[in-house]
Amino acid sequence: MKKVLGIFVLAFMVFGFAACNGDSGAEEKDWNIVMITDVGTITDKSFNQGTWEGVQQFAEDNDIPAMYFRPNDGTQAEYEAAIDLVVENGANVVVTPGFLFETAIYNKQFEYPDVRFILIDGEPHTPDYSTYETADNTTNILFQEEQAGFLAGYAAVADGFTKLGFMGGMEVPAVQRFGIGYVAGAFYAANELDFSITFPANRYTYLGDFDASPAHITAATGWYSSGTQIIFAAAGGAGQSVMAAAEAETGFDAKVIGVDVDQAADSETVISSAMKRLAVAVQQELTAIIIDGEGNGGTTLVKGADEDAIGLPLGDSFKWDTFTEAEYETVYALIEDGSIVVPATEDELETFLEAHAGNPDVADLVEATMSEAE
Amino acid sequence: MASFYDYFSLVLFFAIPLIMTALGALFSERSGVVNIAMEGIMIVGAFVGILFINGKLIPGIDSAVEFTEAIGGVPVYLLGMIIAIIAGILVSYLHALASIKMNADQIISATAINTLTPALALFLTMSLALGESAGTDKLPVARSLYLIDEVPLLSKIPFFGELFFQNVYPGFYVGIIAIILTYIVIYKTKFGLRLRACGENPHAADAAGINIYKIRYLGVLISGAMAGASGFIFVIGFTIEFNASVVGYGFLAIAVMIFGNWQPLKIVGAAFLFAGLLTLSDGISFFPALDNLDIPEGIISMLPYLITIVVLVLTSKNSRAPKAAGQIFDKGER
Repeated sequence: MKKVLGIFVLAFMVFGFAACNGDSGAEEKDWNIVMITDVGTITDKSFNQGTWEGVQQFAEDNDIPAMYFRPNDGTQAEYEAAIDLVVENGANVVVTPGFLFETAIYNKQFEYPDVRFILIDGEPHTPDYSTYETADNTTNILFQEEQAGFLAGYAAVADGFTKLGFMGGMEVPAVQRFGIGYVAGAFYAANELDFSITFPANRYTYLGDFDASPAHITAATGWYSSGTQIIFAAAGGAGQSVMAAAEAETGFDAKVIGVDVDQAADSETVISSAMKRLAVAVQQELTAIIIDGEGNGGTTLVKGADEDAIGLPLGDSFKWDTFTEAEYETVYALIEDGSIVVPATEDELETFLEAHAGNPDVADLVEATMSEAE
Repeated sequence: MASFYDYFSLVLFFAIPLIMTALGALFSERSGVVNIAMEGIMIVGAFVGILFINGKLIPGIDSAVEFTEAIGGVPVYLLGMIIAIIAGILVSYLHALASIKMNADQIISATAINTLTPALALFLTMSLALGESAGTDKLPVARSLYLIDEVPLLSKIPFFGELFFQNVYPGFYVGIIAIILTYIVIYKTKFGLRLRACGENPHAADAAGINIYKIRYLGVLISGAMAGASGFIFVIGFTIEFNASVVGYGFLAIAVMIFGNWQPLKIVGAAFLFAGLLTLSDGISFFPALDNLDIPEGIISMLPYLITIVVLVLTSKNSRAPKAAGQIFDKGER
């Protein structure tokens, strides 16, 4: 089924390029932006969609053609084939959101030195992780997801939630950082405000994919009906399943924390979202490359609170009950100026909890944040 | 207790579409036509039904909310199901035509339907911009509009009232009626007897003056109707966005039918076993005692399949398919 879809998109794309090449001949260089989606779809209301909206916005503002392409499968061979395909069809800026593109970009950045690559959430390396190298035509963008997760965890506890859960999608570094930050934020707040919270290790899980499914609804329903009040769903499209479960919960007001973009519009149950401003970051880099003619090739941009690249949504989407925007700004400022250094790995989390969160007895939970194989 | 109740209502949610699809497949197989196109037919039923309840097929109505405000949630749901049933019948007619009239291989024609339908649904969604916004490949499903909060009086019955008459979709009752009707039709009517005869020994049935072609057409079309309805029930119960997939439930239902030994009551039992185990493996947290044992996730996920294998080994000795299922009926051959 995916193959068939791939062919449709391809046909659409080739047609699109043919049409676009004709009318943009006036510029010095005919830019063609193509985004290749990660596992999950362009309409995941999360990671892929957030990136794509940035690409689209930039393309519209500057009248540059932009397309997206969905690989047949989430394998390295398919990713590389997708890059070959879009480059052969005229793409010269390739945007690849996702850690899973790391090795594909590593190979292809040397093969196509004239093509600019923007890799989000990863850094190119060989399959065995022995060599990391970012060529001059590749820009890496990393976010400090742990900071966004921290804010979400802090807000949830400060708002009075006492039974917390975390459902990640696939266990990739960005999702791990969201989860680790969330745990840190929750226990930091509990210690600071002297609240007692429950966050057992079996309420911290990675679902294994980013797609909505009945299995995820079942899992989330199980958590809610056994007392979990709020689940942080850092799981792309699978987050929709958590929202469906929360909506169906009749016993109490079950809540979800969304991810990547402001997901308040998706469901009444979304109380907040741990955002990373994908669209802004991708637009900035596209501007740097295409408009300014330079770009940050060969480097890794790390975007966090200091650049206002992460955070929770304010205004109408700020639905906390007792936790106020002023309190949020206070915590945000502490992260921004480095007073709170949010942990990003299992080891850092352990040290952080000992030093700043009153050393809660949660060794199992800390262990659950990263599996042994990673 | 609340946990157990939630668990059991999820099991019911899963089991009903599974049973309906399996019973549909039963009608087809008992008439002698293998129908593995259930997955594809479910997708078409869900697709067309959801388009209808979202108001896309009716001029002047733009959204699901508007539609339910006009005539109420339950009527919209039931109308949507009827549309889904019609769509299911039309698709299964293709299968009937190929396998009964044209004497084509039944597996191949069904596989063609399974391959074609999801791609077609996605293509139509995207090219005609049927979703919330242009470019999306998903149809929104406003499932909460169709939920029955409580059935008057009956919901007051202790335990059962809470389980069967509160927070249910109308499809649940349709499913129960379908189970009862299927049993009566297969075992207590003339048509049922003829249907079974067609699947066992079509030549003898033919000699007795039964029109084999007519019975087989009916068997396949009934299976299409039930698959269409169950696709609709399944998607409304389990998604908030439909992306042309029923995640393998059509195939699972065929497994349930075989597991249930082509007998309606055993199929119901098999479906509850499957649904119960699958829900348990995904939702171990419904049972705090089990949850706190910290059994590795992998083991829990394996559980439904392991138990299925064990049960199959123990019961397969007595399992027998309708003798003529899958065979092309040729009047001249003896």
